[in-house]
Amino acid sequence: MVVLYPILSLGLLIGGSLIVPLLGFLGKKIGLKKIREIYVSILFLVSTILLFYTALYEKLPTIYRIIPMNIYFESSLMVDYFSIYMSLIFCFLGLMVSLYSIKYMERETGLDEYYVLLLILVGGMVGVTFSNDFFTLYVFWELMCIASYTLVSFRKYHWEAVEAGLKYLIMSTTGSLLALYSISLLYGITGTLCFDELSKIILSSVGTISPHTLYFIIAIMLSGFGVTAAIVPFHTWLPDAHPAAPSSISAMLSGVVIKTAIYVITRTLFKIFPPTNFGYGLILLFFGIITMTIANIAVITQKDIKRFLAYSSIANIGYIITGLGIATYILYNYSNMSGFAGLALLGSLLHILNHAIGKGLLFLTAGSFIHELKTRLIDKLEGIGLKMPFSSTSFSIGLLNLAGIPPLSGFWSKFFIISAGLSVRDNILFITTVIFIVNSIVAAGYYSWLLERIIFKKSSSNNKKIKDVSIYMILPEVILALLCILITIFLHPVLAFINKSINILLGV
Amino acid sequence: MVEEIFLANIALILIIIGIYGIAAKRNLLKIIIGMEILTIGVNLNILVMGLREKNGEIYIDPLSQSMTIISIAIGACVAAIAIAILINVYRHYKSLDTSKLRRLRW
Repeated sequence: MVVLYPILSLGLLIGGSLIVPLLGFLGKKIGLKKIREIYVSILFLVSTILLFYTALYEKLPTIYRIIPMNIYFESSLMVDYFSIYMSLIFCFLGLMVSLYSIKYMERETGLDEYYVLLLILVGGMVGVTFSNDFFTLYVFWELMCIASYTLVSFRKYHWEAVEAGLKYLIMSTTGSLLALYSISLLYGITGTLCFDELSKIILSSVGTISPHTLYFIIAIMLSGFGVTAAIVPFHTWLPDAHPAAPSSISAMLSGVVIKTAIYVITRTLFKIFPPTNFGYGLILLFFGIITMTIANIAVITQKDIKRFLAYSSIANIGYIITGLGIATYILYNYSNMSGFAGLALLGSLLHILNHAIGKGLLFLTAGSFIHELKTRLIDKLEGIGLKMPFSSTSFSIGLLNLAGIPPLSGFWSKFFIISAGLSVRDNILFITTVIFIVNSIVAAGYYSWLLERIIFKKSSSNNKKIKDVSIYMILPEVILALLCILITIFLHPVLAFINKSINILLGV
Repeated sequence: MVEEIFLANIALILIIIGIYGIAAKRNLLKIIIGMEILTIGVNLNILVMGLREKNGEIYIDPLSQSMTIISIAIGACVAAIAIAILINVYRHYKSLDTSKLRRLRW
């Protein structure tokens, strides 16, 4: 029995984007306002429900093959628990952003294009998680990238958006092309692009193919996809692109687009180059440490709230990469202790969820502050929290979640990574974990500093008339804040679900 | 195969020229041209990697051909968006010099 719901949701996202301009036109002619916005939200809602239903009740993995005319070339999609987990996050955040955009983007022009691109962005990300060979993956990857370049430079009347968009485009395209180069080299060595066959061929020919070639491919692939993941030497596009984009798009970019790159890195590394045979754990640890340290140092000097949040996204990517690095390092050097590697992976994957929801929430609430005050400087936003109770409560829950204050789930993901790093007696892992702990404490410090300034400081006199934003903007914020708490309460089923994806990654 | 190694080296040279163009040039249009050269190099490499030899005859794997065609199409999309943003950059700055686009910090 073939499970059709995941493909249906992918088709809804990409195919459904086609009639958005028609609905926009009809809405203008007939006078049905917001019909386009409601349609987009319903599409996201339906695909989220379909994916959720699949995750709960269907038997996975399931494979879809598309074989056009002859058998020379095939493109295949595969849905397993890991891809369902990631695509559920993407679709859900897309739903929240589309609800938020109803009011937030009201005054902008070119909304038809905006909603089409938003649907294609999420569709591309869902496609990336479903794809089972590099050919399909690259096509969906570029679909996602092209949509996000355009959305970053959406406010083209403003110099900042245009400049940041061009910077993002040049860096990210170079990265994608390098990744494509490594894919082509892999294809030249093995003669196939399908993940399953690739892993079989590479495992069976460890002696015949020179390991230097494979490490070269791993390095190019890591740096190529690492540009979109904002790993530190390639991170410079991110702090420019996030403030320049509309806040809803910053939430998408920071919450899920960079996670897609993390997904691709995890999937390719664990599936094609099994970490028990290849020792790239040290590289991942190195990149993770550099990423979080440099980003955490850079956060403190920022005066712009979105730039502040953007740098803290980079730091969180550093945590996730470090968790992956700990897992791969343990698997390579202490292969009898794969349980601890699973623990580190659990922390990383849970942190993907926490950061997607928490940072999406923070960017949306920061967007409502900016929407009311028309400024992004933290100095001028001081004390805004007392005027906007709903937004600021959600904002503080998001901040506390990302800071890792114990009952919230942001604490547990960091705790899993730290305990996995300390449970194996190894000097490198010990040093890494110490740096990780120091970084977490610094991060908790600046998050609570931001919380104090936004919520508790006395507001300056010029923003007396500020009221809370409209219900359409509050609703997604409150849902996301509730979700932060709900994940904490229902941590056990969430962890049980993540465990299924870890079993896929570790090949248990 | 001599042809494969020769063509793969040409692809590598094109990639290096493209990266040099992106990294070292000051004019935005030249950067985009560098990006295109990089795309061409990668496409050539995909095509070369599909060369197979069977019974003394050289043929090309259809998978690499189809992937190259899709990749060319994607490259064209990216170039179109790059040039569209470039026009907007020119409207704001009246210049395509990257040293004038330094208002964003690192």
